[in-house]
Amino acid sequence: MIWVTWRQNRTEGFVVLGVLVLSSIFLLITGLNMAHDFQQSGLSACLANNKQPFHVCGPLGALFLNQYGPLIPFAAVLLILPVLLGALVGAPLVARECEQRTNLLVWLQSITRTHWLIVKLVLVLGTGLLVAGVLMGLLTWWYRPFSQLNGSFNQVAFDFSGPVLIAATVLALALGIFVGTLTRRTVFAIFLTLALILAIRLPVEFGLRPNYEPQITVTWPLAQSDNPPVTLGRQDWNLGQGWIDAQGNKTNNVSCNGPQQQTPLQCMQADGYRGNYLSYQPADRFWTFQWIETGLYLAISVLALGATFWLVRRRLV
Amino acid sequence: MSNALETTHLSKRYGRHWALQDCTLALPAGRVAALVGPNGAGKTTLLHLSVGLLEPTEGLVQIFGCSPLKQTTQTLPRLGFVAQDHPLYKDFTVADLLTLGRKLNPRWDDTLARARMQKLGIPLDRRAGKLSGGQQAQVALVLALAKRPDLLLLDEPLASLDPLARREFLRTLLDATVESGLTVLLSSHIIGDLERVCDYLIILSASHVQLVGDIQEITRTHKRLIGPRQDVDAIASTHTVIETSHTERQTTLLVRTNGPLFDPSWEVQEVSLEDIVLAYLGQQVTERPASLPSTRKQHGMEVVQ
Repeated sequence: MIWVTWRQNRTEGFVVLGVLVLSSIFLLITGLNMAHDFQQSGLSACLANNKQPFHVCGPLGALFLNQYGPLIPFAAVLLILPVLLGALVGAPLVARECEQRTNLLVWLQSITRTHWLIVKLVLVLGTGLLVAGVLMGLLTWWYRPFSQLNGSFNQVAFDFSGPVLIAATVLALALGIFVGTLTRRTVFAIFLTLALILAIRLPVEFGLRPNYEPQITVTWPLAQSDNPPVTLGRQDWNLGQGWIDAQGNKTNNVSCNGPQQQTPLQCMQADGYRGNYLSYQPADRFWTFQWIETGLYLAISVLALGATFWLVRRRLV
Repeated sequence: MSNALETTHLSKRYGRHWALQDCTLALPAGRVAALVGPNGAGKTTLLHLSVGLLEPTEGLVQIFGCSPLKQTTQTLPRLGFVAQDHPLYKDFTVADLLTLGRKLNPRWDDTLARARMQKLGIPLDRRAGKLSGGQQAQVALVLALAKRPDLLLLDEPLASLDPLARREFLRTLLDATVESGLTVLLSSHIIGDLERVCDYLIILSASHVQLVGDIQEITRTHKRLIGPRQDVDAIASTHTVIETSHTERQTTLLVRTNGPLFDPSWEVQEVSLEDIVLAYLGQQVTERPASLPSTRKQHGMEVVQ
């Protein structure tokens, strides 16, 4: 069955390998360049000695970000690889067999359907783990200069700086395989899988992720300066700064309709604004958050795969 | 003699529609059986239930005494199955398909598979999708045969083949049954081509089994009776009337005899298997093969059942 699965999916296998190799080459070349500059400019040494924002190193940090910052979106694009893996490899895995009715051929060989599904899952998920592992390693290494400047505890770098990337890959594949088994229509399953992955990941990343533990919020009076009384470390996750209005809600938009002569401060005081705030998640929660999100994705994956087994064993043809 | 396939009150329902209802039959080992019925009669459902691809709504199905659904490790190696339209992995070469067979079946006979491919002139390096329909059917059949099954089930294997390909397909099948004690059940909506290879007949119509038995026995007991126009009650009291047609002067019956015929007013004729099948398929949809009489017009002839 291992041979059969390989023979059926080898084209996808080669494509995945090719994309991975190309991505690696891109990351290695730009990454080596960056690491070299980071060392040479003295930025690395400067940052290693203190936890302050990178401005303490003078213009070096800003210069580095100006030069290499534009590469970040190119690296971040690689994060859609796991999603594509789920939609283009996961979804057709069972759906294509049902659609071309080859399940009627393979299910009547001498191995059980469960055996057939286990081998498929192990090989495909194994490949997914391998791809995700390589990507995680490369991206984490590649991002290190940025991580030392600004930390990895932010919306983008969090996705590839730990096991979350692996769990997201397993999730995409598990959802794809489940949807394919459920619909038994390849093209439909591909699009439904994409939609489902987005429907799960977007709310998780933008809604749940900043709140796995209660945010720490610092407040201070309006009369003082806009600068917060605390200085966040480079590795902390800054979740936003703004004002607390008369109702006690956080806002970062102030609409003040006072007379022209008023200063903004006077106007805000007149409208009842209570103070400034700054919300953040401290750096030492990074791994807790990684494992929470990993656990969440893996739990959904287990449900999807369990349902797939049930479908294959029960609802047969 | 043990039964290769046995079903007891086997039924399958999809939603509110019964695809197969109360099907009780036995296929003795070593037989080559034709499963005949019009499209939609439940042939595919019966075959899929038999190989464990479907779960019965009611009733029981057994392959050599084992459940094809629960005892798959016992039944799967003994079953050969060619689904309708003989699906194959179209991008596999013929050699790849043979490798698949070898890897997935402990009883696989590679020598037999290769010898048959050579005999059929099918190149091993050709992709399955590039073969003709007839060749694809042959490959699917060889894949099932090289598994060395004890029971081979074929779902409408001839439907998509031209007459020449049909003959060659049946020849491969016949060779295989002669060589081994293979039991075969193949479905078809016509009987014509199957008469040469089959010795057992199952007629399925409107989700119900209409007739099961040895073909010789069936042709021996079914007779056509022609006589002056008359009522059929007398004959129906001892024999089973399958089909009745009247013209102005004549009455023609197709009956299953349950003993000798004494009435000299009937002229007794032999009747072909095809006509017997057609008579059963022409029967009104009934719960049981013999039930209350009803009348309808068919092809301008009055048909009473």
